[in-house]
Formats: sequence, structure tokens, C-alpha cells
Amino acid sequence: MVLKSLSDLRNIVAGGPKKKLVLAAAQDQHSLSAVVRAWKDDIIEPILIGDKEGIQNICSVNNYDISGLRIIHEPGLEMSVEMSVKMVNNKEGDILMKGKVGTSTLLKCVLNKEWGLRTGNLLSHFALFEVETYPKVIAVTDVAMNIAPNLRDKIAIINNSVNCLIQLGYEMPKVAVLGAVEMVNENMEATLDAALLSKMNQRDQIKNCIIDGPLAFDNAVSLESAKHKGIRSDIAGDTDLLLMPDIEVGNVLYKSLVFFAKAKVASVILGARVPIVLTSRSDSEQAKYDSILLSAAASK
Amino acid sequence: MISSLDQMVEKVLNPDKMHTIAVAWAQDINTVGALSRAVDNGFVQAIMTGRNGEIKNVCNKLGIDHTKFDIIDIDDETEAADEAVRLTRNGNADIVMKGLVGTDKFLKAVMDKESGLMIPGAVISYVCAIEISSYHKLLFITDPAVIPNPNLEQKVAMANYAIEMASKFGIEKPKVALVGASEKPGRHFQYSDDYHEMCRMADEGIIKNCIMDGPLDLFLACDKQSVEIKGVNTPVQGDADILLFPSLESSNPFYKSLMLFAKGELAGLIRGTEKPVIVMSRSESEKSKYYCIALACLMA
Repeated sequence: MVLKSLSDLRNIVAGGPKKKLVLAAAQDQHSLSAVVRAWKDDIIEPILIGDKEGIQNICSVNNYDISGLRIIHEPGLEMSVEMSVKMVNNKEGDILMKGKVGTSTLLKCVLNKEWGLRTGNLLSHFALFEVETYPKVIAVTDVAMNIAPNLRDKIAIINNSVNCLIQLGYEMPKVAVLGAVEMVNENMEATLDAALLSKMNQRDQIKNCIIDGPLAFDNAVSLESAKHKGIRSDIAGDTDLLLMPDIEVGNVLYKSLVFFAKAKVASVILGARVPIVLTSRSDSEQAKYDSILLSAAASK
Repeated sequence: MISSLDQMVEKVLNPDKMHTIAVAWAQDINTVGALSRAVDNGFVQAIMTGRNGEIKNVCNKLGIDHTKFDIIDIDDETEAADEAVRLTRNGNADIVMKGLVGTDKFLKAVMDKESGLMIPGAVISYVCAIEISSYHKLLFITDPAVIPNPNLEQKVAMANYAIEMASKFGIEKPKVALVGASEKPGRHFQYSDDYHEMCRMADEGIIKNCIMDGPLDLFLACDKQSVEIKGVNTPVQGDADILLFPSLESSNPFYKSLMLFAKGELAGLIRGTEKPVIVMSRSESEKSKYYCIALACLMA
């Protein structure tokens, strides 16, 4: 199965038990609005950790009815994050979400060796885009977390993403390793990595997916473009996952899709024990909601 | 001011002096179609090099009268490219355009130190104007095609070429955004030092006739709302005319995502040559090729 739209994620979530989402430093209007909406839609069961009065004030000002919702009072920002992570560590939560606290504070707790959520895997950012001009959802990684991944990191990033896609119902996701050109060029390191990743996939060193690269963006998403250039590829025009060479490229593409191609987007951090939702102020209301939906579908 | 690609075409209709285009290895459907339109609209004459029979066949297929073109019968791809460049160098043509010949062979002819079109010491780069419905004006982009990793000198040349092109469109002080992954410079972003230096050069009038800022991410470059939300003080103000990218790796997928996912149209040219050089991917549409011809006339 492949996702045609982000709303298909609802079908995945509807089948299983409701996941518990722990919102750390929950006194944050931006994340609360999306969490409350997802709760009302029966997507998740939230646990709000943070300054209780602050949470209640935001909810009453914005008319969020949160009666029946579990709130744990912890006014300290860092303490509320620590408590949230520990709860997830104790298997009392299935998803971790960032509220009114910096990303670095949250990640520091996630990576804590004693009570954090490490698995030994690299943490990576995974985003799903729904664009009108592409026939299915396209996943892109890593546009926000790893700045300049080396080959080993790229393998870990692919594995995180492929495991997630399989959890979402994909069978052999098609992974395009993006380059500026489709030829291997010894002066462009990304194209060398791409060639290695493709070969490692052929040799079953990277499993459960079909990898091809380097592919320029047009060849990855358009069969017509690939044919014009005479490129033989099993995945050209039918890409499920696009691997970025680095954050510089990923950031530009992510913003291009959202701003210029009017894409809908959902994103989640993978590689920890549970999916982590990190949204930013500039994300739309819908993007925050869809990210929660994705995290619920990606949660095991 | 020219604010769309169609307006650009209107501007070059009824020229004082008719421009002549030499086309290398011309037997390509989209190229012949675009040239035919330009000739019919009375703003260019065309000399085609290539296989006489094949060019006439393409004309027949398109229902075009081949006698509107001068055809020079040449059987070999490389020789056809050399001849088109020679005609332009000798003043028999004002513009040279790539047909079905491979880009590397074509550029080799253009860049030949003795028989090519190089301006001694000039940086060769590519600038294009893109029209997208999701942006409020034309966007000039550099360099999505030629320089893989521009150094400072090359970046300055790229900026100047784009500023020069914008001025031909009647944009007097274009806003130039130096694109990065974030507005915060950082050691791990190699462009940071160059961007800093370029902003200084713009301040001191070494780079003229523009408003320059960077690094800026795409949102801060092109979205006024993001500038307000983030409260970043930038003279570009989410209203960029020109986007300068740090590498081919980021610019290439960006422009391709605009073309494929945001349904953009483009007109682009090689800069740094004595006469305008049109290089387009074989897969570009007839419409884009037509726009390129008009742009070359505007710049000639």
C-alpha cells in the first residue's frame, strides 16, 4: 500500500489502540491547539505536562474544552521535559511532543543515557509531503536534523525512514538518492555516496527497499524526464522517499514544496524509542495536526 | 517594468534590429517549434546546423515550412556545434542555441579559448527567470546549471549577472537573497563567510544596484509573513527578486521542484560569454525554449 494523501494516515490510526501523546511543557498555544484537535478527533490520548495554570489559561482564552484530559502540574520547563521523557521511558506514553521549550533542551533529555529514549540509532527527521502535482505522498529525509550526514549516517537515515514507511503499510519503498546530476561525478561527494548506497542495496546491505541514485530531482519524480535523458531506473518517476545530500539542500526543497508548490506536510523525528513531534512556530495549524497524525500512525 | 514572461516576449517583438540565432544540431521537435514561432512573430531569423533531411522531417511533422530557416547541412554533431559557434563568433549570428547536441559537446565549442565565445577571464554561469503562480513576481535564480560549488569570486559574478538581467526587466534595485538553510550563519555552513563578504561588498558599493542580504532561508527570502512571525530584520523583507544559491546541489532540485511541482515556466541563459548562449535541457517544453529565445534577444 502507498499513501495517496496525508488523510490516508487516519485509516492506519483508526485500526489500532489509541496512542498516548505526552506534550512536554504543554503551556504552549501553538502545540495545544493541534493536540486538542487531534484528541477531539480520536487520534491520540494526550497527557499534558507543564504549568497547569498556564495550560488552563490558554485553553479558556481559546475556548479549548479540555475537561477529562490528564494534566500533570510541573512548572519548571526543564523538569517538565525530564518528567515527560521519563514517562515515555516507563512506557506510559507512545509519542513525545515538544511544547514551550527549545528543541535542544528536549533532545538533551531524549539522549540522556540513564532515562532517555536512545536506541543506538541516529535521530533523523522524516517528512511526508502531499503535492497536487505528484500522484502520491512523497517522503523526504533529512531536511532538518542532520547537517552534513556521512555515508554511515545516510544508511541510518534510510533505515529509520524505510522502517517508518513499512510501519505505514509500504512494502518495498522506492528510495531515490538525490543529486544535482544523475551521473557519478568524483567532484560531487553526494553522487559518490549515492552510488555506494545503491550498490549496498543491491547486495542486501540495506534491506526492505529499492534504492537508486544519484538521481536529479526531475528524474526521481518524473518518468518523462528520465526517459528524455535515457536513464534506466526501476524507480524513476515513482519515488516514495527522497534522500537529501545535506540539510542545505533539504531545507531549500522542504521550503520550496511548502511555499511554492503549496504542499501539505507532516513530519516526525525518528530513531528514538518513540516518534517525536517537533513543530515550529512557522508551521501551519494543519501541519502540526498532520504531524501528530503521522506520529500516531508511525508509533508501534 | 516587465513582470511576466509573456510581457518579456512583447518587449522584444518589433525590434529595431532583427537578431539572428545559430542553432546547433537543430533536429529537435521542441527547438524547431519554438524557433518557428519566434520567426513567425518576426523577431528572429534562424540559421540551423545539422542533418538537412532530419531537420526537414521535423518541420514536416510539425507542419512548418522549412524555407523560413537557413539550413546548413552538417552530418556530425560536434561539427554542427562548432559551426553554430563559429557563425556567432564571426558575426553572422547574434545568439547561439543548443539543439539536440549533448550539453557537454555544445559547451566545449562555446568555451573553446580560441574559437569559442568566452570573454577572457569572465566567469561562466547561468541565470534564469522563473514565473510561478504562487509568487507575486518573477524570480531570478542563479546558478542552477553550471557551477557546482562557486567560490566568492564566482558568487559575486553570479550576483552581478542576475542583477544585470533584472535591470533589463526594468527592476532597478533588485532584492538579492543569498540562500542558506537558516538566517544564522554558522561554521558548518560553508557559504557563511562568502555571504558575509558579499553583504559588505554590497554595502560598500562594490556590488552595485541591489539590496542584498544573507544568509536567508527561502521563507525569509520570499514570504513576508515568515519575516513578520520570526521578527527577523532583513532588507529583503520576504520580497526577493533574485535568489543566489550556494551550490548546484541545492539550486538544481529547487528549480526543478518549481518546474515540476509548482508548474513554473522559465527563461534562462548562460552569462559570461560575448554573445547570448541558450542552453536548455532536451526535455524542456517548446514554450520554455521560446521564452529563452526571447530572453536572449532582450539581453543581446
